[in-house]
Amino acid sequence: MIKPSSLIRPPIHAALALLAPLTTASAQQNNPLAPLAPLAPRTTALAQGNYGSIVRIEAATQVPNYKEPWKAGRFSGGIGTGFLIGSNRFLTNAHVVSNARRLLITVHGSPRKHPAKIIHIAHDCDLALLEVDDFTPFLGLKPLQIGSVPKLESQVRVIGYPVGGDRISVTRGVVSRIDFSSYSHSRSDQHLVVQIDAAINPGNSGGPVIQNDKVIGVAFQGLRSADNTGYMIPTPVVNRFLKDIEDGHYDQYVDLGIASFPMFNPAMRKKFGLGQNSPGVLVASVTPDGPCDGVLENNDILTAINGNAVDAAGNILIDGEKVNMNEIVERKFSGDTIQLSIIREGKALTRSCTLKPFPPSRMYAAQYDVKPRYTTFAGLVFQPLDRNLYAAHSFTNTRVRRLFAHYVDEAIFKERQDIVILTRVLADPVNTHINSHVGTAVESINGEKVTSLEQAHALLHPEQAPEFFIIKCEGIERPIVIPGNKAAEASQRTQTNYGIANPSHLTK
Amino acid sequence: MKFLTVIIALFVIASCCDKKSCAISSGQSPDAAAESTAPALSVETSVIRINTTLQRWSAAQPWDKSPPKKRRALGALLSGNRVLTTAEMATDVTYIELENADSTRTLPAKVVAIDYEANLALLEPDNGDTEGFFKGLKPLTLGGPAKIGDEVDVWQLEDNGMPLVTQATIQSVDIVSSFAEGHYFLTYEAKGSMQSATSSFTLPVIRNGKLLGLLTSYSSKDQIIDVMAPEIIAAFLADTADNEYAGFPSLGIAISSTVDPNFRAWLKLSDDVGGLYVTRIRKNSAAEKAGIEKGDVIIKIDDQDIGRRGYYSDANYGRIFWSHLIRGTHKVGDTIKLTVLRKGEEKQITATLARPGKRLIASHTFDQAPRYLVKGGFIFQELTATYLKAFGTDWESKAPLNLLDVISSPEDYEEGRNKLVFLSATIPTPATTGYERLRNFIINQVNGQPIADIPSLIKAFQTPGPDGLHTIEFAHGPPKTIFLDATASDFVDSELLKRGIPALSRE
Repeated sequence: MIKPSSLIRPPIHAALALLAPLTTASAQQNNPLAPLAPLAPRTTALAQGNYGSIVRIEAATQVPNYKEPWKAGRFSGGIGTGFLIGSNRFLTNAHVVSNARRLLITVHGSPRKHPAKIIHIAHDCDLALLEVDDFTPFLGLKPLQIGSVPKLESQVRVIGYPVGGDRISVTRGVVSRIDFSSYSHSRSDQHLVVQIDAAINPGNSGGPVIQNDKVIGVAFQGLRSADNTGYMIPTPVVNRFLKDIEDGHYDQYVDLGIASFPMFNPAMRKKFGLGQNSPGVLVASVTPDGPCDGVLENNDILTAINGNAVDAAGNILIDGEKVNMNEIVERKFSGDTIQLSIIREGKALTRSCTLKPFPPSRMYAAQYDVKPRYTTFAGLVFQPLDRNLYAAHSFTNTRVRRLFAHYVDEAIFKERQDIVILTRVLADPVNTHINSHVGTAVESINGEKVTSLEQAHALLHPEQAPEFFIIKCEGIERPIVIPGNKAAEASQRTQTNYGIANPSHLTK
Repeated sequence: MKFLTVIIALFVIASCCDKKSCAISSGQSPDAAAESTAPALSVETSVIRINTTLQRWSAAQPWDKSPPKKRRALGALLSGNRVLTTAEMATDVTYIELENADSTRTLPAKVVAIDYEANLALLEPDNGDTEGFFKGLKPLTLGGPAKIGDEVDVWQLEDNGMPLVTQATIQSVDIVSSFAEGHYFLTYEAKGSMQSATSSFTLPVIRNGKLLGLLTSYSSKDQIIDVMAPEIIAAFLADTADNEYAGFPSLGIAISSTVDPNFRAWLKLSDDVGGLYVTRIRKNSAAEKAGIEKGDVIIKIDDQDIGRRGYYSDANYGRIFWSHLIRGTHKVGDTIKLTVLRKGEEKQITATLARPGKRLIASHTFDQAPRYLVKGGFIFQELTATYLKAFGTDWESKAPLNLLDVISSPEDYEEGRNKLVFLSATIPTPATTGYERLRNFIINQVNGQPIADIPSLIKAFQTPGPDGLHTIEFAHGPPKTIFLDATASDFVDSELLKRGIPALSRE
């Protein structure tokens, strides 16, 4: 499920911390060692040989710089865990290998580092599949089997390479909660999550959570404000990822594209003619151009999805557990059709909806493995608004914040493929007096409404320069004025003075 | 958040940030020291201690007042047993008491007139032994303007009633906003080393035996004393002479400087003019009525050339920001002459100055109890800047985005509204089951009636639908529309009254 307006709600993922990449130096300081009690003898042992299937992943990363997008970015790295699930297929978290330039895999007890690469990566569910260049040394290892969703209170083991040492580590705990919750890697997605009370620490990320010798989850995040809460990606999400990539391509999650509102209020129930125990949740908004646009309407009561009754809180029963109704859609793929039972103006109807990914909502998802887009002009730096830019610049301008928050639900994406922001002014004689415009959205250039970065770039670099370039920013009446005959020279000068090797990067 | 400042402070954009730029260093009254103080009056007989109790309204529970706070300050005794102090001392007060220098007598007082924008208040006795209190006291008279370099005395009282006089030298003159945000008035900045004493606030500042102004702030780091200028006090006192206080006039424009040479070239401004670029005209303002347009460049006000940053050359003070020409030298109803450049052509415009018109979000709501309605557990209020500021010092990022948007773009919401009514919070009650998390939603309609303010909301709730339900329609949602059981909410309302909410609404 995609959470378009997560920004304006109290975001739970603010407190969620990804476990890796563990940058060794700082993590050591933050986690002082505490004396440990002697380990109890293992009762249900994972066959000793199978530790070898749980590998240490060393990532060297290059993190793009969204503040100064022309720069190479920060070279960094981290440690995570992965495990063998098939012939030359290692599963891990997407966040362990995001922005990676070099990946090395080490087997438990061996000093040898094997170069690896990503075959598939799914940022929306924080999973990635790797392969090594040469699988021969791994041939004797047994792939781990993938199990099912564990029961509440049942025991699990977490195996991986967390902070505190180089060797493999095993912790044990019970399943505390099964819930639909935020995946902090993309900052905008929610899927099924299993909470466990085993210690999960930086470096555990991507490691298997084991029950009865089977993998029942992938350890991936923790909660900063609480003790003994680790989160794992349960097997329905893992299986969906593996199924999605069967055609050689990851298509991303699909989403209903509606906001629901619980039908708890008696007046509300009376208005919609619902009896005390009748099922159904209110359709409170339908995402424009989303899969349900034209299928559902505001104030429909959604009573069932594919025949599974939706209760007043928007939950359904799957495998004996009450879960969020989105869980049905979660297990579907792009192009699948679902049946929606609704009550519209008192009449029961059935509608079908073909699911599809919804690209505009990626505005809210953190981007990885992409170069930031930008263009420069006479010392002015323009960048398209997205989650990464927002995180780098922490915009305070109300209009910019509003454009971001309502980009999807007010269908701003239909008119504006990009919201172009003036993010910086590199001081130059031609732009000395421009400062209050920084951090605002560009409305028009030379009278033309700005709808994308490419178009803004074209407007700023015409074949024949106009007498003046007039750049109007939203909410500021006084335009930016750059004389046409000075612009090219100023662009050249600022590129030299500020060390901008490439004046623009436009492609996605 | 620059944009917001522009809205609230229609008057001054980019003005006082470079305060020191208008300081004048030479050529001003070299004989200031010679004609220095010859006090015909003494501190003890012309200064009154003022003790007030202030109580603001709670933003979250608008029927409640916040815990009371006490403040102590000094005031200047004027003729007619009136005491001059700052508006800051007399705003949201529940009790004012005058106390003489040696603390032997006290007297209850009330506000005669108050100006939040200029930060001035005039007090007078409210019953009590007036004669006994003022016996032997000598009122101060207001003096004329000072010059840069003049020496002044700042009067304080020690706890024991002994006078404490600090000499200070006026170093610069600027326009400063000292209380209501965005309202800038002529202020002297004097250098002097003050010490703390009781009631060290709103201290009278004396020059040549006459009251020059009131101290509005003191920076111990820079040893700079801000003193409200006598012109502003004189205008305030003159306004209080009749029983109808009008307040200071306004033109109603927002401006931008014309320093940028590229901007000037585009505007086709020649090098021999300065000019202010008009970026915004407030509805129903003096500027709108006079026909000033967005994009006009004001080059003269009352024959004074206006510079590129908005300063003119004042005969007495040197470079002063243009807004002083409007607010500090005129009163409501006066006309001013403006010379503007419109599309390169010079135009003469006459504007009749007025008070700012009513706005969707007032720049301040001092002494006004917030209007609200409690219905079934829903708390509805009218949006004010005070409400948003209750979100803390970083309210511009903490307050709800949809409400911040109203403050920064009020014109998008003005249609059909006097005030903006919103659901500020939801008390969990049997009527609001399932709605507990709804808050900060702007109201469009209730029971099919558009909501212009709290009174219209109260009226709309009087006619629920035939099904016994109230229909509440929000501007955004989700959900866009919710329903409230009329009978259940009436019952809840009566229960809430029993549980201590003093009144379900305030109009």
